[in-house]
Amino acid sequence: MATRDELLACLAQFRDRCNADAQLRPMLADWERTILIRASDLPAEHLLIVRGGQVYLEPAAADGADLTVIAESGLLADLFAGRITPTEPYLNGSLRVLGTEEDIMRLDFISLMIWGE
Amino acid sequence: MRYVVSVSLGSSKRDHEVTAAFLGEDFCIKRQGTDGDLARAEELIRELDGKVDAIGLGGIDVYLYAGGERYALRDGLRLLACAKLTPVVDGSGLKNTLERQAVRYLEEEEKLIGPGTKVLLVSAVDRFGMAEALAAAGCDLVCGDLMFAAGIPYPIRGLEELTRMAKKLLPEMTKMPFHMLYPTGKKQEEKAVTAAKFAQFFDEAAVIAGDFHFIRRYSPPRLDGKIILTNTVTAADVEELRAQGVKWLVTTTPELGGRSFGTNVLEAVMVTLLGKRWDEITAQDYTALLARLQLKPRIERLN
Repeated sequence: MATRDELLACLAQFRDRCNADAQLRPMLADWERTILIRASDLPAEHLLIVRGGQVYLEPAAADGADLTVIAESGLLADLFAGRITPTEPYLNGSLRVLGTEEDIMRLDFISLMIWGE
Repeated sequence: MRYVVSVSLGSSKRDHEVTAAFLGEDFCIKRQGTDGDLARAEELIRELDGKVDAIGLGGIDVYLYAGGERYALRDGLRLLACAKLTPVVDGSGLKNTLERQAVRYLEEEEKLIGPGTKVLLVSAVDRFGMAEALAAAGCDLVCGDLMFAAGIPYPIRGLEELTRMAKKLLPEMTKMPFHMLYPTGKKQEEKAVTAAKFAQFFDEAAVIAGDFHFIRRYSPPRLDGKIILTNTVTAADVEELRAQGVKWLVTTTPELGGRSFGTNVLEAVMVTLLGKRWDEITAQDYTALLARLQLKPRIERLN
């Protein structure tokens, strides 16, 4: 389990890695999405907003998200810090992503682009 | 009579059966589509195991290649594991030989491509041999792997970038359900809603190469004057390309009964003729057998 602050720090790290990656920017240019990150074991929700090739981290708002990512806080922290990849947790159900398959693929892709070998 | 069945994740509407002779041996070649149903494909392979000479896997690759690395698709391995007696091939063993030869043939014999020719290879990791041959011919190569498999409007320019991307992405992406990476079943018959986003890459290229389902799903309405380098086309596909204004259609596999089968079918035929275990067959075996079979790419002027 991660604390709320630890999770927030991992999300900020993810945002910063995305925004520092010059190759990733044009790959996100056509993709504007609001991604709700929900920890299942903490009262913690955050928004990652992808707009204009940049990623923003904001407190969760009431408005609907395009994608919702749900997992235990420890898993979310590990994922967004790049300590594990999302594929296996997604396939074994410990990570749930609610959205279209295209958006799920794109999120997986972003994570691999910034954390892949 | 030898029997080869291609079990495909593609649409059953493209099913077909043909007899053909190779080096004096008669073959009955059948394609059975499962409309994207992986479980049905597994069941079919189990049913055919031990009853036919070889099984081809269509509409799915087991192995992808980039820069000397081989990546195995998890769903492809699942299908391979369903047969214990009959060899199962996905065409990747032969593609590496056949598609290089096809590119060289187009360059040296037909003069249809050469240095500077703009080529859009819709997916390169399933045709790395073709990608390398096009690069060696001096073509200006754009690989569409990210565009057409992941919907990302990013053209990969050249083999170095492709290899780098593959190293980052493929070890994980190959674990994803195959239908998330490639159109299967009914999706093969539909135009992608995002097709317009990629039209400029088709417009800029003189040659559109690679997987036909990607080409069909994402191509703009007009392909005037283009060369299409692919395989697995039916008579209806040829007419569709003609109507789109395509000038030349080149398929790396020859025409059998009015259509060009996938490389998995031809590889299944060749494995049967070679009488060796699939994992013992070398590129030299394929090259020597291709020379004996005198197979040439099908080249057809459509407009």
